[in-house]
Amino acid sequence: MTQAAPLSSGERKNGAQSVLALIGRSYYLVGTLSVVLFLALWQGVSMNVPPVILPAPAKVLEAFVQLTASGELVKATAETIWPFTVGLVVAFIVGTALGLVLGILRPIARFLDPYIFVFWSIPNIAWLPLFIAWFGVGNLTLVIFVFVSAVFPQLLTVEAGAKEADSFLVEVARSLGGTKREILFTVVLPSALPYVIAGLRVAVGRALVGIIVGQLLIVATGIGYMFQFYGETLSLAKYFAPLIVIAALAVALNRGVNWAEHVLIPWKTRAFS
Amino acid sequence: MRELEFIKVNKSYASPSGDRLLALDDFSLKIDGGRFVSVVGPSGCGKTTLLRMAAGLIPSDSGEIRLDGVVLQNPSPKMSMVFQGIGLMPWKTIVDNVALGVQLQAHRAKLTEEERRLVDATLALVGLSGFERYYPHQLSGGMQQRVGLARALVRQPEILLMDEPFGALDAQTRTVLQDELLTLWGRVKSTVLFITHDLDEAIYLSDMVVVMGRRPGRIKQVLDVKLPQPRYGYDARAEAEFARLRAIAWQSIKEEL
Repeated sequence: MTQAAPLSSGERKNGAQSVLALIGRSYYLVGTLSVVLFLALWQGVSMNVPPVILPAPAKVLEAFVQLTASGELVKATAETIWPFTVGLVVAFIVGTALGLVLGILRPIARFLDPYIFVFWSIPNIAWLPLFIAWFGVGNLTLVIFVFVSAVFPQLLTVEAGAKEADSFLVEVARSLGGTKREILFTVVLPSALPYVIAGLRVAVGRALVGIIVGQLLIVATGIGYMFQFYGETLSLAKYFAPLIVIAALAVALNRGVNWAEHVLIPWKTRAFS
Repeated sequence: MRELEFIKVNKSYASPSGDRLLALDDFSLKIDGGRFVSVVGPSGCGKTTLLRMAAGLIPSDSGEIRLDGVVLQNPSPKMSMVFQGIGLMPWKTIVDNVALGVQLQAHRAKLTEEERRLVDATLALVGLSGFERYYPHQLSGGMQQRVGLARALVRQPEILLMDEPFGALDAQTRTVLQDELLTLWGRVKSTVLFITHDLDEAIYLSDMVVVMGRRPGRIKQVLDVKLPQPRYGYDARAEAEFARLRAIAWQSIKEEL
């Protein structure tokens, strides 16, 4: 094949397709194109509706810079990140540990499963008045609310992983002379590791919802409260600033989980991409 | 030494209707030390049950399985099993999968320097030097089964139990691995109990072929294979004796189908 070969008529007809193919090959080009198109669409719509419905992207950027410079956004972000982190980390540790115990020691699971199921089935927000009554209006309640939001997906996913260790691999380990304890460490726990990451992925999302809802309804601080305040006062340009922070946080966390997955489970390959 | 003996072994399973389904009926067989014995028979004849009991993975209902006169009950450190499904730990590298054979035998997570060298030597023996840091999914099926073989051999087993180990491989790979197995067997001198549904494979590899009948599992016929070893040294499959044995065994199995 030479590059200089003349185009056949078929190739010329497929010019548009080859442009698409070229774009498809470049990860960054596709990403940039997506952002540009989105901003153009946003600009187009904002020019045809009042700013109170949708402010222009430039106005949102201006508000973002202003809120950052005044320190309001930075303070709100800090107020959000630490209860979020504490709640999520504790939920991850407790959820993983309890999930493993329940997945391995089935009698304990039979004892606890009904409570877990009931607690998990009821929307978190329904517990909020009870939490406030018990723990007061403050950051403790906020952390507990984040914890409760994140702990169940972590626990249930890890429990499923530990329960469903490959029985054939268990038999192989047994044929090699493995004791119960050795099989636990060489087969059951490693095979639950992908579920630990899968649980974390869901837990992160739930914890983000938890922190925003919690700040909205409990403490009236942080990013969650900014949404409420600027939303209710119809300062939409400012309303978008905390939204950008949350979106950036979600992207960063997802990247972090991807990285953890890559490091902790190098044997997993993607079957379809 | 390395003598494996089945004495009046019985095993039945519960069928869905609640009846007992007999898998092995007063099964007796004595395998002299260092011999290569294959068991062939139609599916459901109990050959895999036989092997799993010898491996100590399932108990027998009655009867005894003895290794050098000592009754076996649990998986023995003197044995290794090779599975059709291979069963490598996907999260362990090749070298760690082979090391697992020693770790679970010695009940020790940390290998001695000598055991490390043995693991490396065994990997070299199956032709996998250079693949130590690979994960199983990065290897072909034939290479994975070489790892399975290495994990068994690194334990320096007195008895090697093989459950249709090449059943899932393509014909070429299977032929290559058969010869490699004979080479390895020539070195380690383990007693081998080999389960297969492939008559040619059984005759080519074994000193003795045991043909089993349909349920309830009993021995139908025992064939001594007198073709000289090593069989890869000449075209053993083309020998008249090979064809004669295959015809006898095939006739015997056909009656059971």
